[in-house]
Amino acid sequence: MSPRLTLPAVAATVVSALLLSACASQKAPATADVAVSQAAVENAAQAGAAELAPAELTSAREKFARANQALKERDYKLASELATQAQAEAKLAQSKATSAKATSAADAVQENIRVLREELDRANSANK
Amino acid sequence: MNKTFTQKAVTPLVLSLVLALSACSSTPVTTSTLDQARSDYTAAQNGSVAQYAPNEFKAATEALNAANTAASNREDLTKIDQLASLAKTKIATAQEVARTKQAEASLKGATQEREQVRLQARTAEAEAARRNAEQAQRDAEAAKAQAEQASAATRDAQAQASALAAQLAELKAKQTERGMVVTLGDVLFNTDQAVLTSAGTATVQKLANILRDNPDRTVLVEGFTDSTGSTAHNLELSQRRAESVRAALAQMGIERNRVETRGYGEAYPVAGNNTAGDRQLNRRVEIVLSEAGKPIQARR
Repeated sequence: MSPRLTLPAVAATVVSALLLSACASQKAPATADVAVSQAAVENAAQAGAAELAPAELTSAREKFARANQALKERDYKLASELATQAQAEAKLAQSKATSAKATSAADAVQENIRVLREELDRANSANK
Repeated sequence: MNKTFTQKAVTPLVLSLVLALSACSSTPVTTSTLDQARSDYTAAQNGSVAQYAPNEFKAATEALNAANTAASNREDLTKIDQLASLAKTKIATAQEVARTKQAEASLKGATQEREQVRLQARTAEAEAARRNAEQAQRDAEAAKAQAEQASAATRDAQAQASALAAQLAELKAKQTERGMVVTLGDVLFNTDQAVLTSAGTATVQKLANILRDNPDRTVLVEGFTDSTGSTAHNLELSQRRAESVRAALAQMGIERNRVETRGYGEAYPVAGNNTAGDRQLNRRVEIVLSEAGKPIQARR
């Protein structure tokens, strides 16, 4: 290294330091993204996605695992991308499970009504 | 830097870049995933997804816009695919949320409907129960009326039977195997005549009353004499006396077809013919009253 500090050299050092700190500052969002995606996957599993949306949940879990791996390997950009995908897929799995439950509940009540109506009609015609 | 060199070197570079760009712009950058995301989005837009899941639909719109922007910026195909895939997932999520909201709305409506149907069922049940109770009440009333009618009929029949018994007792009727028999002695006729005395008419009137009160009974009037005189005369006299009773009954309003007559003359005496008292016993008219609705057995 040259003992003489030139202006460009100083500038380069400052820029690279800035770049590094910028890189370092990316660590926090990626960790947060991965954490959020983990929460989303857990919520989906709790909503019954394992039975009602297995493909979506599996894909979300797999993306989350890869995001975690990327985080360990300090590939924050990839970790963030995978976490975003995992979160979106987990949300889809959860929505799918919720809508399946709501739909089957609505269907059950409709069926209930149909049976009730049938009984009513039978009772009415029997009393006539 | 040398300006001349730069100009010489740059010109072909710019040319090739322009060519490359124009080649690209004639075939817009897209991927099958992006195409799919766009068509999913259109389908969601045409449905009621925006209405039922506005937040999710907005997120999906933003994701698709990001993918579209990447495509028009000719970014890396992998990057475009990634964004398109994300958009697809968000569109699907919006659709699922909308589906949930629709199901919930339907569930709410259906629950109300179910309550209505249940209410109808209960009303129908109550109505049926009321109708049944009313019917039972009517049945009970009818049965009671019927029972009252039956007991009234029994009372009537009993009253009629006891009235008949009293009337027959007054006539000194005797029970025989052919039925009740009323005997009119010859004192009720003028001697050797078939004309009823006033006492005889009064007795026949009692018989007429019985026949009027008991329309299902008929009578057989049988005439008898003692053995004095010719058989032919006695037969004729006994017949005339029987006929005289029928005529009197007819005058009292009893149909002639309910009264049969038979003259037996001196046959069937009830006593000897040696003394005046016995002969008087033989001079008689017997009136046989039928059982209700039955014919009278002939004398054996």
